Amino acid sequence: MKKMIFVFSFILILSFSASPLWPGGNLLIKNGTILTVTKGVIPRGDVLIIGGIIKQIGENIQAPPGVQVIDASGKFVLPGIIDSHTHIALSGTNETGDVITAEVDMADVLDAEDLSIFTALSGGVTMVHTMHGSANPIGGRNVTIKLKRARPSEELVVRQAYPTLKFALGENPKQANRIGTTGPPRYPLSRMGVNAIIRRELLRARTYMSQWDRYNELRKSKNPPKTLLPPRRDLRLETLAELLRGNLVARCHTYRADETLEFINLSKEFGFKIACFEHIPEAYKIVPELVREGVGISIFLDNWAYKVEAAEGIAPMAAYCAQNGILVSINSDGAERTRRLFNDAAKAIKYGGLSEEEALKLVTLNPAIQLGVEKIAGSLEVGKHGDVAIFNEHPLSAYTRCEMTIIEGDICFDRSQYLSEREEAAKRQKEPKKG
Amino acid sequence: MAKTIVKNLIFFILVLVIAPALVQADVSPTYALVNCRIVPVGGPQVEKGIIIIRDGLIESIGTIGIIKIPEDAEVIEAEGLTAYPGLISAHTNFFIEPPKEERPAAEALQTAESQPEKPVAKRGSPAFSLLKPKKTTIEALHRIGITTILAAAGSGIFAGQSVLINLNGEAVEPMVVKNPVALHINFATERGAYPSSLMGTMALLRQSFLDAAYYASHRTRFEQLGRGMKRPEYNPFLEDLVPYVVDKKPIIFTCANQEDIKRALRLRDEFKLNILISGANEAWRVADALRKTPVPLFISLDFRPPMSSEYSQKGEEEKRRAEKDIYPANAKALSQAGLPFALTSFGLSDPATIQKNIRAAIYAGLPADEALKAWTITPAKFLGVDSILGSLERGKIANIILTRGEIFDEKTEIEKVFVDGVFFPVEKKAAEAQPAAINVAGTWKAAVRSPMGELDLTMELEQEGSKVSGALTSAMGRWEIREGTLSGSNLVFSIEATIMGQTMTMEFSGTAEKDSLEGTISTAMGNAELRASRVPKTSP
Repeated sequence: MKKMIFVFSFILILSFSASPLWPGGNLLIKNGTILTVTKGVIPRGDVLIIGGIIKQIGENIQAPPGVQVIDASGKFVLPGIIDSHTHIALSGTNETGDVITAEVDMADVLDAEDLSIFTALSGGVTMVHTMHGSANPIGGRNVTIKLKRARPSEELVVRQAYPTLKFALGENPKQANRIGTTGPPRYPLSRMGVNAIIRRELLRARTYMSQWDRYNELRKSKNPPKTLLPPRRDLRLETLAELLRGNLVARCHTYRADETLEFINLSKEFGFKIACFEHIPEAYKIVPELVREGVGISIFLDNWAYKVEAAEGIAPMAAYCAQNGILVSINSDGAERTRRLFNDAAKAIKYGGLSEEEALKLVTLNPAIQLGVEKIAGSLEVGKHGDVAIFNEHPLSAYTRCEMTIIEGDICFDRSQYLSEREEAAKRQKEPKKG
Repeated sequence: MAKTIVKNLIFFILVLVIAPALVQADVSPTYALVNCRIVPVGGPQVEKGIIIIRDGLIESIGTIGIIKIPEDAEVIEAEGLTAYPGLISAHTNFFIEPPKEERPAAEALQTAESQPEKPVAKRGSPAFSLLKPKKTTIEALHRIGITTILAAAGSGIFAGQSVLINLNGEAVEPMVVKNPVALHINFATERGAYPSSLMGTMALLRQSFLDAAYYASHRTRFEQLGRGMKRPEYNPFLEDLVPYVVDKKPIIFTCANQEDIKRALRLRDEFKLNILISGANEAWRVADALRKTPVPLFISLDFRPPMSSEYSQKGEEEKRRAEKDIYPANAKALSQAGLPFALTSFGLSDPATIQKNIRAAIYAGLPADEALKAWTITPAKFLGVDSILGSLERGKIANIILTRGEIFDEKTEIEKVFVDGVFFPVEKKAAEAQPAAINVAGTWKAAVRSPMGELDLTMELEQEGSKVSGALTSAMGRWEIREGTLSGSNLVFSIEATIMGQTMTMEFSGTAEKDSLEGTISTAMGNAELRASRVPKTSP
């Protein structure tokens, strides 16, 4: 008996140590229609999550003792939705005090208590790439987080994701819409200026790197001069040096095709990697170039003409680009839209005729690849994280809604539970106050 | 020759005039407090005790009968009273008269060439240079037993160094116990300048710490080598910062929420800083992180949940519940977790609220004796003055309060206060219904300064007895005054302001004089200073 207890507790410890920070939950989701995204559809299947990781997907899986079972009969089970570009859960968006602000890091200002996390969870979203705004040609470092509600901010960060740096081209960084506002205008005021200032900063970063190289060489030499001092550490240039060394990847906000190509030229000149172009309503004009460079795009599905540089957007773009070999994701760029990315994905079937699976990839696997987390998220596969959304109808139906959102086997959103809590709260408010 | 005589004569007259004043200031009477109960903090209580105060210090303390009353002592009969060490508020913005800020002239278009390499962080002025003690405030603080405060400037990222003062009068120099105490840093932002965002502030702090360390190492190397090396360019901002970054003198970070606390801890770990955390009002939520390497915590008695808190985002009722039940329980949670903390009045200026909120913390489970430590010996330790302050012991500074009843009980009144051995009789507790001492009715021009920026206001006040009504008008709209009361010269009112669709309650508490008015506006987002002057009536 004692031995049994020992073995059992050993198993318990093992299952909890899968992820040291967040133990991760154990769940068996039963009898749902499983949309794996990468391995087809199981009409009536189960997903077993142990220690936060998907252990088994199939039919008639038995729940190990003590594992909570969720009945998903008649419901649809899909990988948690991923938003490749948003600005939620942050105490700040733009550092507008300067033009080049590569030194700022959004991970410094995570706000785990932002109610937008709840809103996003209610739309089946489990992971977001939350970013610096587009006010500056070079913004700052972004951060990828899981929406683990009510957990400390540091536990939200997805360490496996690419470290990314925000760039922005066009109307926003050149302050095209500042007419009528007060204060001095700032350089740059044109698209040429935006390109030029980015180039200038990257050249500065190169100089900075060579200063350090020279210093390190001298320091290692036989008789380093007594007066040898290291260069001053500059966090702005250090971030850009990291980009040039390949330890950071660029995420670039862009609208027009021409300046997008110019940015690709910059990346070649300086040898840095572009992970993804943001918004880019004119992507359909430069498909061969994007395919050749292997750069993905993160876009709105059917949202354009809200400013001059967005005038030439087209509805079938997501489908057209995806069918022609570009890695496409649909993003929200904000709080409210995050919770209905699945609606946007469905539109890619209507406009351009993507298959259901391809349409779902726009909000699951494709953003996962763009963020460098496809090994842990983006589809339902054994070994990936137990990040799952359960919808009452097919997620691409106009009548669908998210019933439950699960992150690493822990239920982070449960619609029925939330609705009953809300009802009780309303009742409490109606009751006459005591005392 | 004649000139010399005149000079000597003037000198002689001056001596005659000044000397008695000097003598008076130097030698305060010797007192013997007899028959009082003594709660010394950190030692056993004495039921019938005696304290001899001489030359500003506790000459002796103990049981009556054992210690002789010196012949020259003025005996103060304290039967029925309890002696406690004077309370220390280890972080306040009291008495700080902020310097006039020069607004930058409108800049010309920044060009690619003229763009500054890096914006320069503003140095905060030392609090000592901004001190303007006020008698009414000192009396109000005495009335609730506070004899020592840490005064720090409130605004800016680098908010200058704080000064520890004893509330022993109105002259600044004799008040100072320790100066500077610590460098103060706020997670603030600049409006229309770098850094305009919190992430920018973090980047600026990191860069500044790096620069200070680099500056110091360059300077040291230059001092060693001299010839053959270019001298480092003198930088007054970094000069100020070096002692805190290199020599690890204490830095007090003022935090608004749990994320700020974690930011402060991150900076401490990255730069090996010696930090204290003020505004640790969500410390219980980050207790795990705090337990790893304990850091002195100052809990403010302002229990309103911060704007970022989930409790602030779920409606007024939840917010009020959090203020009443959840935030006051922080101290108890920290005490159970074994994390050291002091209680401060930071963010509050109304003595009644300060007292009420100490009781709230006790009601929420903080043992009263721990509350007392958190007001006396613990802040003294945190500020490095526990050898001279924070408890009643022989040789320590004679900061003593005499109360009728247990110190934090609702009905208890503080009857006598000694600061640096100077006796201050305390008037009976200012009753709520104290009549208004002045009439504030009329128009006032006011300026509000907060870490977020400045706002000009026009105040139209009306007064009926002690009731004050009216409205505040600014570029942001017109806000009605609610629940305005003027008791004596203490003015309190609240306003419900709608700013960009968000309704926010703001509370003003301050003092009014005939033609000037000043105090603090406190909001869930932080505090702001308000100063107003009367607009003279134009004759018809």
